[in-house]
Amino acid sequence: MPQVKIIAKNFMDMVAALPAMKLDKLYDNTFICEAVLRSLPPLAKKYALQMLYIDVPVPVKSMEEWVLPDGFSKHRVAIDRLIQLRVFIENTDRKRETSYLLHPKFKSNLQKYLVYGGVLPREPMPSNITVRLPTLEELDAYALEQWECFLLQLISSSHAERLTNFSPSMMKVFQRGLLSQREKGPRLTESGFQFLLMDTNAQLWYIIREYISNSEDRGLDPADLISFLLELSFHATGEAYNINTLTEIQRSIIKDLADLGVVKLQQGRKESWFIPTKLATNLSVSLSDSSSRKQGLVVVETNFRMYAYSSSKLHCEILRLFSRVEYQLPNLIVGAITKESLYNAFENGITAEQASINMPLALESLLLFFFQSCRNIFFTSRSNILIGLKSSLVVGVPRFWMVWCLNFLYFLVYGFMGFTHLPQEGIGMIAPVN
Amino acid sequence: MASITSKLYSDDVSLLVVLLDTNPFLWSGENTTTNSLSFPKFLTHVFSFLNSILLLNQLNQVVVIATGLNSCDYIYDSSSSPTTVESLENGRMPALCSKLLQNLEEFLARDQELNKDESPPGIASSLLSGSLSLALCYIQKVFRSGPLHPQPRILCLQGSSDGPEQYVAIMNAIFSAQRSMVPIDACVIGAQHSAFLQQASYITGGVYLKPPQLDGLFQYLSTVFSTDLQSRSFLQLPKPVGVDFRASCFCHKKTIDMGYICSVCLSIFCKHHKKCSTCGSVFGQAHSSATTTSDRKRKTTES
Repeated sequence: MPQVKIIAKNFMDMVAALPAMKLDKLYDNTFICEAVLRSLPPLAKKYALQMLYIDVPVPVKSMEEWVLPDGFSKHRVAIDRLIQLRVFIENTDRKRETSYLLHPKFKSNLQKYLVYGGVLPREPMPSNITVRLPTLEELDAYALEQWECFLLQLISSSHAERLTNFSPSMMKVFQRGLLSQREKGPRLTESGFQFLLMDTNAQLWYIIREYISNSEDRGLDPADLISFLLELSFHATGEAYNINTLTEIQRSIIKDLADLGVVKLQQGRKESWFIPTKLATNLSVSLSDSSSRKQGLVVVETNFRMYAYSSSKLHCEILRLFSRVEYQLPNLIVGAITKESLYNAFENGITAEQASINMPLALESLLLFFFQSCRNIFFTSRSNILIGLKSSLVVGVPRFWMVWCLNFLYFLVYGFMGFTHLPQEGIGMIAPVN
Repeated sequence: MASITSKLYSDDVSLLVVLLDTNPFLWSGENTTTNSLSFPKFLTHVFSFLNSILLLNQLNQVVVIATGLNSCDYIYDSSSSPTTVESLENGRMPALCSKLLQNLEEFLARDQELNKDESPPGIASSLLSGSLSLALCYIQKVFRSGPLHPQPRILCLQGSSDGPEQYVAIMNAIFSAQRSMVPIDACVIGAQHSAFLQQASYITGGVYLKPPQLDGLFQYLSTVFSTDLQSRSFLQLPKPVGVDFRASCFCHKKTIDMGYICSVCLSIFCKHHKKCSTCGSVFGQAHSSATTTSDRKRKTTES
C-alpha cells in the first residue's frame, strides 16, 4: 500500500528536513548513523558502503558508470536520498564538475563500526539487582495490551476501560486526521480506517511522528527526541537498563513511551529501570519496510453471519465499523453483516479498493466476503437493484463508485476465491440502471 | 493467497555464507601471490566485510564455513547469539572476531590431525566440494524454517587450485544450487584462475572476480559482493572474459578437452570402456568397425 509506506518513510523525511547544523550534530551519534544507513534504499546503502574508505571526491560520472541503463532511475533516487540526508556532500570544482564525498563524521563513525562491530548504547543492569524480570512472552503481551489500550482510547474514548496518561490535548493531536467530528459524535474518517489497517510498526511510526512534530510546542528539541528514539531501537529486548543513565528530557519521554507499550518501567528497591519491548527494537527495522503481519481467523458464512476468533477489544471495534456485533465470548466475536451496518460503512467512505490491497490476511478475506455479500444483498433481485442504487444516491456515495467497486470486487472474488456457487442472477457485468 | 506470503521480507535481507580457504599450503608463504597478503591481514579484510554485511540490515545473517585440507566445518553463525554483544571497555576484541578466531583455531587443529602421512607435491587443493555441500545444507534448513527467510547466497574465497578429483561432487553442488536459485559468487585470491568457480558463477548467476590488488581486498568485497540480489540486476558487475568449461574424466580424474560420453547418463571418460561405470549401460560394439573415426576422436589426455 503506497500510502502506508509513505507514512512510515516520512520519519526519515522529517530527519532530512532538519537544518544542516542540527543534522551534522545528529551524526555525532553512532547509532543515528547506523539507523540512517539502514533506512536508505538498497542502492544507496551500497554507494555509502563503497565510499567509506575513499578520501578523494568521486566524480558524478564514475558513480553513474556503475549502473546499467535501466537502473538509472533507481540510481537517481538513491543519490537524491543521500544528498537529502547530507550523507553525500556535493562539491563543484572550478571545472564545473560535481563530485561526491561522504560526510566526515558519518564516515568515521561507520568505519569504527566496521572495525569493532556493533555495540550497545548502554550496559544492561546486573541481574542481582534486577529481580522479577518479565519473560519475553510476558513482555510481548504487555506491549500488545498497552498498545491496544492506547488505540482504543484513540478511536473511541468511551469504550476504553483504562485511560492512558496522555493529556486530552495530546490525544486530540493524535486524533487529528483520523477522526472527524460529526453530529452524532466523533466518527472515523477514511484515513482513520486506513490507519487501523496498517500493521503495528507503521501505526507506531505515525503516532511518533505526530508526537515529534508536536514536541516543539512543548519546549522539547525534535533532534533530541529523534536521536533518543533511534538509540532505543539498538537496545536488546528484555534487558533492564538503569533510568539514571537517561537525561531529564529522556526521562519525560520514557514515561510517554511506556504508555504506548514501547518500554516497560519497573521499580526495584533502590533503582528503577526500563525494559525495551519488541516494539522498541523493531523501530529501526520498520523504517524501510513493514514486514510483520497480523494473524487472525475470521469466518464469514453465506448467510452473512461472521465469527472472528479474537479476544481483542480493538478487533471488536474494527468489526463494529461494518457489521453488527451480536455476542462477544471470551475468544470469539459473533456478528452479522446487515444492510444498516453496510450503510454505516459507506457513510464513512470505506471503498473496496482501499481495503483489498496489502492488508492483513484475515481482514482481507473478511472484507472480500463482505463486499461479495454486499453484492448479494443488493442484487439478488431486480427490485433490490433499484433499492441498492437509490439508497446509494441517498447516502451520497456516487453511483459510479458503487457499481465500479462492486464490479471490481466481483472479479476479485470470482477469480481469487474460485467460488462457483454464486447465485445465478447477478452473474455478469452489472450495468447501471438508467 | 500466494501473493501475500511470498514477499514477507523486504528485498534486501540476505543470508551470506562465506567459504574461507584455510589451506595451510596456500598461506604458508611458498606461493608468491599470497606473499603480499598474509593470513592475519586476510582475516582483517574478511572481518570488516562481515561487519559491513551485518551493518546494512538488522536482519542480515552471516555464516562462515572453513574449507580445510581434509575437512570442513561451520566456524561462525551470526544468528546464534543475537543479543549478547560485549562492550569494549577493557579493549577486548569484539564478539564476532573472538568467537570466529577461537572456532577457527580449533578447526585447524582438528584438520591437521587428520593429515595423512604422504603429503602431495605442490599445493594440495582444499575441500571445496565439502564446504559447498555444507553451505547448501544450511541454506536448505533456512528455506524450511518458515515462510519468513532471507535471500541466501554463497561467497567462495578460494586460493588453492582446483582438484580434478572433486569435479563430480562440485558439479553436483553447483547444479543443486542452480535449482534452489542460490547464486555462488567467487573471489579468487590465489595465483591462477579456478575453472570450477568460473563455471559455478556462470551457471548459478553469481559474480566471479580475481582482484588484481590483494591489498585492497575489502574494497573489492564491499563494492562487488555486498549488494543484495535484488539490486544486482541494476548494477554493472564484473563479467569473466571467458569461462573455462573443461571437465575431468570420471575414471582417472584428469582434466580433458575431448573424450567419450555415455549417452544415458552423460558421464565423461577419457578412454573407451565397455560399460559405463556410473549407470551400468553397455556400450555398443561399433568401436571396432569405426576404429578410424575413434582414432581421430581420441585425443591424448593432458598430463
